[in-house]
Amino acid sequence: MPAGKSKSLYRQYIIEEYILPEEPFYIPVQDEVEIFEAAFEQKIPVLLKGPTGCGKTRFIEYMSWKLGQRVAGKKASKDGARANGTGLPLVTIACHEDLTASDLVGRYLLEGQETKWIDGPLARAVKVGAICYLDEIVEARKDTTVLIHPLTDHRRMLPVEKRGEILEAHDNFLLVMSYNPGYQSTLKDLKHSTRQRFVSMEFDYPPRDIETEVIAHEGGVGRDIAMNLAKLGEKVRHLKEHGLEEGVSTRLLIYAAKLISSGIPARRACQTSVVWALTDDHEVQRSIEEVTSTIFP
Amino acid sequence: MEDEYDSPSLEAELQRFPASVVSEYHKAEREAKRRLRPEDLDAWAREGIAIAQHSFRSWEAATEYFRATPEVAARMAFPQLLSWARWGRSLSADSPVVSSSFFRASPQVLNYIEPESIGRWATYGKGLYKGTWKSSSLASTYFESSPRLLQFLNLNELEELIGFIDTLAEKSYDLANECLANADGVFSKVEPPDRRSFLSLAAVLARSNWRDIKPFFENGSRSLVYLEKSQRSRFLSLAERLAKDGGGNAIGFLLDASAALGEIDQSRHVQMLGMAERLADVCPPAVGEFLRNAPQVLVRVKDQYLELWFEEGVKILRENEDGGLAFFRLESGRGERVLESLTNGVQLDRIKEIMTMYCRALSGRPVELLPTQDLKERGIGWNSSEQPTTEGNNIYLPAFVERYGSKELNFGWFKVIATHQVAHMEFGSFEFQFERPSSLFADQDQRMVIAGASSNGAHDPVTDVQRFFDLFPDRQLAADIFTLVEDGRIDHRVKWEYPGLRKAYEAVQREAVAQRQEPNTLPLRESLMEVLVRLSLEDPDVLTVHAELREHIEAIASLAKAVQRFDATVEDTAEVTVRIYDIVSQTPNMEAIPEESEERTTDEMGQSPDMEALQQLIQELQAGGKGQGDAPPKGRVEEEYNRPQRVEFRGEFKPELVQALENLKQDASKSESDMRQTGISPEDLKQMLQNSAEIEISEVEQGEIDRSMGMFVDNLINEAAKQQAKTQQGTQFAHSSDDDQPLANQEPETFLYDEWDFRAADYKPRWCCVREKRMEEGTQDFFDKTLKSHSFLVAKLKRQFEMLAPEKLRKVKHLPDGDEYDFDLVVESVIQRMAGDTPTDKVYWRRNKIQRDVAVAFLLDMSASTAEAVDEARRQFDTWDFPDDPRDYMAWLRTRREEMSRRTYKRIIDIEKESTILFIKALEAIGDSYGIFGFSGYGRENVEFYVIKDLDEKFGDHIKRRIDKITPMHATRMGPAIRHAITKLDRQEARTKVLFLLSDGRPQDRGYSREGVEKEYAVHDTRMALNEARRKKIVPFCLTVDRSGHDYLKTMCSDMGYEVVTDIHSLPERLPALYRRLTL
Ligand SMILES: Nc1ncnc2c1ncn2[C@@H]1O[C@H](COP(=O)(O)OP(=O)(O)OP(=O)(O)O)[C@@H](O)[C@H]1O
Ligand SMILES: [Mg+2]
Repeated sequence: MPAGKSKSLYRQYIIEEYILPEEPFYIPVQDEVEIFEAAFEQKIPVLLKGPTGCGKTRFIEYMSWKLGQRVAGKKASKDGARANGTGLPLVTIACHEDLTASDLVGRYLLEGQETKWIDGPLARAVKVGAICYLDEIVEARKDTTVLIHPLTDHRRMLPVEKRGEILEAHDNFLLVMSYNPGYQSTLKDLKHSTRQRFVSMEFDYPPRDIETEVIAHEGGVGRDIAMNLAKLGEKVRHLKEHGLEEGVSTRLLIYAAKLISSGIPARRACQTSVVWALTDDHEVQRSIEEVTSTIFP
Repeated sequence: MEDEYDSPSLEAELQRFPASVVSEYHKAEREAKRRLRPEDLDAWAREGIAIAQHSFRSWEAATEYFRATPEVAARMAFPQLLSWARWGRSLSADSPVVSSSFFRASPQVLNYIEPESIGRWATYGKGLYKGTWKSSSLASTYFESSPRLLQFLNLNELEELIGFIDTLAEKSYDLANECLANADGVFSKVEPPDRRSFLSLAAVLARSNWRDIKPFFENGSRSLVYLEKSQRSRFLSLAERLAKDGGGNAIGFLLDASAALGEIDQSRHVQMLGMAERLADVCPPAVGEFLRNAPQVLVRVKDQYLELWFEEGVKILRENEDGGLAFFRLESGRGERVLESLTNGVQLDRIKEIMTMYCRALSGRPVELLPTQDLKERGIGWNSSEQPTTEGNNIYLPAFVERYGSKELNFGWFKVIATHQVAHMEFGSFEFQFERPSSLFADQDQRMVIAGASSNGAHDPVTDVQRFFDLFPDRQLAADIFTLVEDGRIDHRVKWEYPGLRKAYEAVQREAVAQRQEPNTLPLRESLMEVLVRLSLEDPDVLTVHAELREHIEAIASLAKAVQRFDATVEDTAEVTVRIYDIVSQTPNMEAIPEESEERTTDEMGQSPDMEALQQLIQELQAGGKGQGDAPPKGRVEEEYNRPQRVEFRGEFKPELVQALENLKQDASKSESDMRQTGISPEDLKQMLQNSAEIEISEVEQGEIDRSMGMFVDNLINEAAKQQAKTQQGTQFAHSSDDDQPLANQEPETFLYDEWDFRAADYKPRWCCVREKRMEEGTQDFFDKTLKSHSFLVAKLKRQFEMLAPEKLRKVKHLPDGDEYDFDLVVESVIQRMAGDTPTDKVYWRRNKIQRDVAVAFLLDMSASTAEAVDEARRQFDTWDFPDDPRDYMAWLRTRREEMSRRTYKRIIDIEKESTILFIKALEAIGDSYGIFGFSGYGRENVEFYVIKDLDEKFGDHIKRRIDKITPMHATRMGPAIRHAITKLDRQEARTKVLFLLSDGRPQDRGYSREGVEKEYAVHDTRMALNEARRKKIVPFCLTVDRSGHDYLKTMCSDMGYEVVTDIHSLPERLPALYRRLTL
C-alpha cells in the first residue's frame, strides 16, 4: 500500500504519523489533566471510564497534544532548540468482537511470490512511542485482551510470536483504554487481571457551566442557547434509570447546537438530535419533549 | 219511648259476658243516650250483644265496640253508626281480634275519612283476612295502622297499598305484616305526587322480586330525596319498568341510580332520565350502568357532548349488547376513546407517566405524581382535594382538569402547576436554614437579631421554618407573607430558568391577576397584602392603590422584587418577610381615606433596590407606624382582617410541615441510640402543629384539638417512617444485583394492564393491577434435595443441553483476511498462479463467535389448586430417569427409596418447582438468559407477580432460597400475569424470546368470569394475552397438568404451542425437550 500523503483528493496518514497539528479544544473538568500527565511520566497505563460522548476521546486527543508539547519541550531544552509544537502520535483502535491478536500485532501477507510482515497498529505504536487508545475495550474478546498484559506491567513489551520477537516499548508509549460501564451486560466485564493493570479515571458529563462552554464552542451557538442545551442535558440525565438507559451525551447536545446554528428551530433540533436519538419509547419521548418545550421557547 | 229501650233486659243479657263488656257498655250508654233516639239506642245495644255472642272471644270485640261508640257516634248519623257496627259484627264473625282492631281504630280513622267510606275502609281489611291465624293478624295490623297510614294516604292509595300487601302476603305474612306496620313511616317521606308510583313499583316488586321489598321499604323513600322533585315519580316508573322487564336487581338500581343522580345537578335530571328511558327501550340492563356512571362521565364531558357519548353507546349496544354494557360501565377501551375525544379536559391518569418523568427530569428526584385526594386521605395536614401541592417527596395534582376549551390548554395548566410544585423542590423552598445567611442582605440579616432578643425556648423547634415563624407574634401573617414572597421568587426563577414555559406561565399569572380585587377597594392592611400578591405575580398592569400607603407600598415593592432574581435564595425570602412583616403589622386594617387613590404600575414601583436606603425607609415607617398604630386616628375604625385569597395555580405551600416530615424521616433513618439524643419528641411535634398556621382544623372544639393533634402526630410519624423505608429500598435496589438480603415487606411495584372482554370484543382499559414483588427467601434445602434426588436426570439434562448449545467458536474459511492461513487454500492459490489463473486471495480462516441469543420467562402458576396432591395411583416407577448402567442403577435405586420414604405425597406445585430447578441447571449450562416468575392473586386489583429470578439477575444462592418459598396462594388470573411477563421480555434484546406458562388448571379468579360460571371470559383473555406475546415476537407456550384442560387449551392456544401433560411426573423430562424445540 502506498504510504504518505497523496496529492490532492484526500489525505491519509501512516498510523504513527497521525499527530494532531494544533491544540484540540478541551476544558478540564477536574484534575484529570494532572493525573494523566503523572501517569504518562510514570508509564502507568490508563483506563478511562465514562458514558458515551462525554469527552473521553477528546481528552486523549488533547493529552496527546499536550504531552507532545512537553516531550518536545524537554528535548528542546536538552538540545537547546525550540519546541516544535506538535503532539505525540495517537493511535486509536476500535475494539470489536472479532478483533484478533494478529489485528493488533501484525501478520504476514502474501506479496508477489513472497510473504511480507506487516506490523499491526499496536506494534507500530509501541515502536514509535505513541499513545495507543483502545476504544471500548470490553468489546474485544478476552483472549485478545490478554495480549496487552506484558505491555501494561513493568515489562512494557509486546511479544510478536509469529516472528519470534519481542518489542520493547518506546519511552513515550502509553496504553489507554476506554470503557463505558453503563450498558455493558454482565457477560461483558473486564477481567480483573486486565483491569488491575490500569489506573482508572472516571469521566462524566461536564457540569452545566463547562458543558455550556463546550457546546457554545463546538456547536457554534451563543451562550444562551448553549446554556439551555446544557440545562436540557442535565434534566434529561435525571431520567437515567427512570425510563432512559443512558443520559444524553455532550456529543448529541453539540449536534443539536450545530443544527440550531444552521437555522433549525431549537425545539425541532432537540427533537431530532436528543429526543429521538435517545429512545424509541413513546411516553419517554413525550416527556423529554415536554422538558424541551419548557426550556426552549 | 222509654219502654222500647229495655235497659234491664239488655243488662241481663250482658251479664253473660265478662265484666269489661258491661262496664264499657255502661260508660258508652251515658253518651249514647245523649246522642241517640231511644229506639235506636236499643238497636245499638243489641248490635253489641250480637257481636259478643258470635264466638268464644268475640266479647272482646264487643268491649271495643262499646268503648268506641261515644266518639264514633259523635261523628255520624245513626244509620251510619249501625252500618259501622254491622261491619264490625261481620268482621267479628271472621275473627274477633280483627274486629277489635277495627273498632279500636275507628274513632281516629274518622279523622281522615268520611263516615260513608267506613265500608270501603273495612272491606280492605276484610279482604286481607283469609281464614288463617296469620291473615287475621295481618288484617288487624291493617286496622291498627290505618290511622297512621291515612295521615299520608287517601283511600285510593290505601287500596293500592293493601293490594300490594295482599300480594306480598302470598309470599310471606311476616314480611307483609312488617311492611304494613312500617308503611306510615315510609309514606311520610314520599311526597303525595309520588305515592302512586311508589306503590305501583312496590306492587311489581311484590310480584317479581318480593325479597327486595324490605330494602325497598327501608331505603326506597330515602333514595328519592336525591332526585329533583318533579322527576321522582318518573324515576320510580322507570324502576318499575325495569323491574317488570326482569332487569335484575331493582333495589340496587334504585339506590345506586338515585345516589348517582344525587351527584348530578338537579337541573339535569330531566335530561338524564330522558336518556335513561331511551336506553330502557334498547336494553334495560344498560340503564343502571348508565346512570351509575353518569356522574363520572359528566365530570369529563360537557353538556352537548354527553348526548354524543350516549348515542355512541346506544349504537354499540345495538351491535353488541355486551360491548354496549361495557361501554356504559366505562369498562371498554372504545368507550374510553369516545370519552377522551369528547372532552377537552385532561385526566391526571392519562398524563401521569409523561408528567412523572417530566417532574423527575426537572427535579432530579424520584418524585411520584399523585392525585391530591391521596394526600388528603393520609391526614397529615393537607386538607384540600383540589389544590396542587407537595409534601416534599411527591407532587399532588387534581385528578381532572377542565378549565379551558382545549386539551392542549388544559395540559398546559397541568404543566404549569406541576412545574411550580417541582420548582419549590428544585429551587430550595424547603431547604430553608435558620442560620444560613441570606445572599441579598449580606450581614444585615435580622433573623438572628430578633431571635437573640426574644428567646422563648419553651420547646425545641422541630424545624428551621418553625423557628423562623416563631419570631413573629402573628404567625399567620408571617406565614402568608413568607408564602407570597417565596412564591414570587419561585415563579420568577421558573420563568428565568425555563424560557420555553414562560409564555404559558405568564398567561396563568395574568389569569390569576384578573381574578383579584383592586387593592384600593380594600382596607389598609388587606390592601398592602393584595399589593404583595400582585407583586408576586409580576403583574405589569396599572394598579390603583391608596395614596396614603404610597411609602409603605414603595418599601414593600422594593423588598418583594429584591427576591425576584435568578440567584435569590429562600433565606432572602425570609429576610424580606421580616421586613415586610414589620410594615404590614404596623398598618392597621382600617378604611382608607376616600378618593385618594393613585395609579401605579408594578414596574415603576420599588425602583430603589438599595438595601441601605430601604432599611432607612422601613425604620421611618415603623417609627411613624408606632405613633398611629395603637389608636386609629380621627375616628377611623379598624376592620376585621381577612387573609388574601389564595392564588389558585400555586396551590398549597406548607414548608413547616414539609420540613417536619423530612426531619422525622431523618430520625427514622437513625439508629435507636442516636435517636435518643437528637430525635424529635412527640411533644415538640405536637407543639409545632398546634402553633402552625399551616394546619387548618375547621370547626373543632377546644377539646377536640388536642385529640386531632395527637392524630396528626401519629400520622406524621407513620408517614415519615413509610417514606424513609421507601427511600432505603430505593437505594438498596439501585446497587443490589447480587445482594441476597431479603427485601422485607417491600412495597410492591404496580403495573396496570388492559383486559380483553371477548363479548364486548374490546379491551377493558387499565383493568388489572399487577403487583410485582420479590419472592421472599426460605432455605436452600428444597433446591439441594431436588438436585440430589434427580442427580441422574440432572446429569443427563446437562449433557443434552450442552449439545444444544452450539459450538462457541466456529471456524470460517475462505476469508480474504483472518487469524491464520489455511494451508490448503494457500497451496491452491500458488497452483492457480502457476497455472496462470487469477489466484484466489481468500486464503485465511478465522474463528467466529456464535452466541445463543435466547431469553426465556417462566411463569409458574401459584394458585391454590396447585396444593393438590399428585395422583398417587398414577405414580409408577417411571422410566425417565432409569439409568442404563448397572452401577448407576444401584445408586439410583437408593436415592429413589430415600425419596419415597421421605415424602408421602407430592403436590402439583412441588412438581412445578422441581421442574424449575432442573431447568435452572440446564439453562446455566448453556447461558441463555432466563427469568422465573410466579403468579397468583385475588381479584383484578391484586394480581401478585413474584419475581423469583429476574431476567437480568444472576443466579445464586438467594435464588435457591426464593424457590423454597414458592407455594400455593390464591386464584389464577393468567392474562395480566402474561402481560407483565411480556413487558419484561420485551425489554430484552435477545433474538429468540420464549414465554413458558406452567399451570395446573384453568384461569380462574374472582370476577374473571361472568357470574362465576363462564370460563370463556378467562380463557379468551388469556388467549388474547398470548396473542399479544406473539405480536411482540415472543413464542408463547402453555403447559398444563389439568387433565380436562384440553378443551380450554384448544381455545386458548389453538395455533400456539401447548401441551397437556398426562403424567405429571414426566414434567421434569418434558420441559427440556420442549425447550429445545422452542428455541432452536
Ligand atoms: N471537557 C470538555 N472539553 C471540551 N469538549 C468536550 C468536553 N467534554 C465533552 N466534550 C465534547 O463532547 C463531544 C464528545 O466527546 P467524545 O467524542 O470525546 O466522547 P467519548 O467519551 O469519547 O464518547 P464514546 O465513549 O462514545 O467514544 C466532543 O465533541 C467534545 O468536544
Ligand atoms: Mg470516543
